[in-house]
Amino acid sequence: MLQQHKTYETTFIVNASLDDPQIDAVIEKAKDVIIKNHGEVVDLVKWGRKRFAYPIRKRNNGFYVVCIFRGGGDLIAKLERHFQLEENILRFLVIALDKKALQARAAAAEKAKEAAALLASTPAPDVPALVPAPAPPSAEPNA
Amino acid sequence: MPYPPSRSRSSSFQRPSPGGRSFGGGRPSSRNQQQRKKRTCRFCDAKEDYIDYKNEKRLSRCVSEQGRIIPRRITGTCARHQRQLTVAIKRARHLALLPFVNDAVS
Repeated sequence: MLQQHKTYETTFIVNASLDDPQIDAVIEKAKDVIIKNHGEVVDLVKWGRKRFAYPIRKRNNGFYVVCIFRGGGDLIAKLERHFQLEENILRFLVIALDKKALQARAAAAEKAKEAAALLASTPAPDVPALVPAPAPPSAEPNA
Repeated sequence: MPYPPSRSRSSSFQRPSPGGRSFGGGRPSSRNQQQRKKRTCRFCDAKEDYIDYKNEKRLSRCVSEQGRIIPRRITGTCARHQRQLTVAIKRARHLALLPFVNDAVS
């Protein structure tokens, strides 16, 4: 049976009280699980330490990581099992990205590229010392 | 003066209606059509098809001070986007990006 490869997104929270190299090791282990199970990591974004809205396991902050990957369906169960067993991963969420989500991602990537190109091409505006300059409208995407 | 006051046939009888939107499931304010402002869904206006659970700044605007999801009759969101918004808010709550309950408000 030919497996369909879907795009998935997982956000997981690593214990922030670890050192940076230890946190990287935890992230690498998670990536290895994906790669060993015939998955392909498309993107990995580290948000860094962020404060929680409520305490998790008696801690008030954690290191957030977002990973986008492609893989077959059987990979997900193994990845979630790994997250469950790993002590240093406090929470995780794995979702499948549907068509609309993928389109939104592509559009956001396009916008970011355009904004970066625009910033690189235009020279820095002259800011008078006393009066604050208004933010350039093209560079700020509407959040 | 006869009691109850006689109503002349020419004047149209208007039911007393609450000013503006009625809260708590009262009768709809269909009489005050000039006052009622047609509120459009802000996600439809921005042409957003996917509401990202990771954008907690955006989501926190759709959530009350206590942390509860604001109903759609107050924000004016369309049904489709309200469903997506609810899913996004619940995911964000699971990841501690948004609180379940805001205890700071007494």
